[in-house]
Amino acid sequence: MTLVVDIVKHGKRPSESFSREKLHASIVAACLSVRAPEGQAEATAHAVCDAVIVWLRQRPEVTSTDIRTIAARYLKSHHPDAAYLYEQQHSTI
Amino acid sequence: MDISTSLAAVAFAALIHASFQLSVSVLTLMSGHAIGAKRTQAKVMRLTTGFIFGVAVMTMLVLSFVALVLLHVFGADTPKIVWAAGCGLLVGVAVAIWAFYYPHKKGTILWIPRAVADYLTKRTKATKDSAEAFGLGLSSVLAELLFLIAPIVISAMILIQLPPLWQLAGIGIYTVISLLSLIIVWVLIGSGHTLAGIQKWREENKRFLQFAAGLGLVVLGFYVYVGEIMNVTAGGI
Repeated sequence: MTLVVDIVKHGKRPSESFSREKLHASIVAACLSVRAPEGQAEATAHAVCDAVIVWLRQRPEVTSTDIRTIAARYLKSHHPDAAYLYEQQHSTI
Repeated sequence: MDISTSLAAVAFAALIHASFQLSVSVLTLMSGHAIGAKRTQAKVMRLTTGFIFGVAVMTMLVLSFVALVLLHVFGADTPKIVWAAGCGLLVGVAVAIWAFYYPHKKGTILWIPRAVADYLTKRTKATKDSAEAFGLGLSSVLAELLFLIAPIVISAMILIQLPPLWQLAGIGIYTVISLLSLIIVWVLIGSGHTLAGIQKWREENKRFLQFAAGLGLVVLGFYVYVGEIMNVTAGGI
C-alpha cells in the first residue's frame, strides 16, 4: 500500500509528500554524527522509519516538526545520544 | 593603567568574549553535519580548523578596526566621557545578556535575528571545504557583533594607550584568549568525544554561562571606571 501524506513545512516553504528516503538519511546522519557504526546507523534508521510510517497511516497531513518529534521519540529507544542531537538540530543556533 | 594591568584587562575582556556562544554553536553544528556525512576525521579537523581561523581573523580585524577608528577620532588620550560611555556600554550589554541572550526555549538558541540564525544553520550543512568553513567563521563573528562589541570596544580603548608593539601583543592576546572555547571544542572533537556530550553540557550550563558573561562585563566596566575615571578625578582634586 502506498503511503500518501502531506508534510507541512516550517515557514513559507511549500508542503511536500512524505519521503521515507529523506527521513532515513536524516536518521543515519544523526547516528553517524554521534559516531555510531554505519551498520547500526542503517539498522536504527530502518526501525525508526518503520515506526514513523505506522504512526503516519492514521494521518493524511502532518507538520515537519511532528515528524521530527515522533522520529526522535522512536530513535531515543535505539540511540539516546543520536535522538538528542536529532532533536537539537533546529535549536542549536 | 600600566602595560601589565592593561594587558590583564584585555585578557579578561577576551575571556568574556570566549564565553559567548554563537561560534561554538556553529562549530558544533558544522562538525555534526560533517561527521554525519561520513567525512573522514582528517577532513572534519580541516573544516573545524578553517572555521577557527576564520573566527580568529575576523576577531583580529574587528578589534584592529575599532582601535584604528578610536585612535583616529580621539588620539591616544581618549576623553573621559568616552571612557564613561564605554563603561556604560559594558553594563548595558551585560543587562542585555542577562535579559535576552538565551530566550526561554529548548536547546541553545540565541537571541540573534532569526534570518541570520537560519542562514548560518543552512551554511553549516552546506560547508564542504576549508575555505567555506573559514568564511563561516568570519560570518559567525559578525552575526554576534551586537554582544561582542562591548568587550572589543573597551579592549580597543585600552590598547590604543599602549606603545605600538604592545598594541600588537594585546591584539594577539585578545584573539588567542577569545578562541579558547572554540579550541576546547576542537580538541574534544579531535579526541573522539561525541557532539551530543558537548551539546548536552552546553545546554545544561547555558544559564551559568549567561550569568558569568554578564557578570564579567559588569566587573570589567567597574574596573575600567575606577581605573580610568575615578583615578583621574581623585588625582585632579
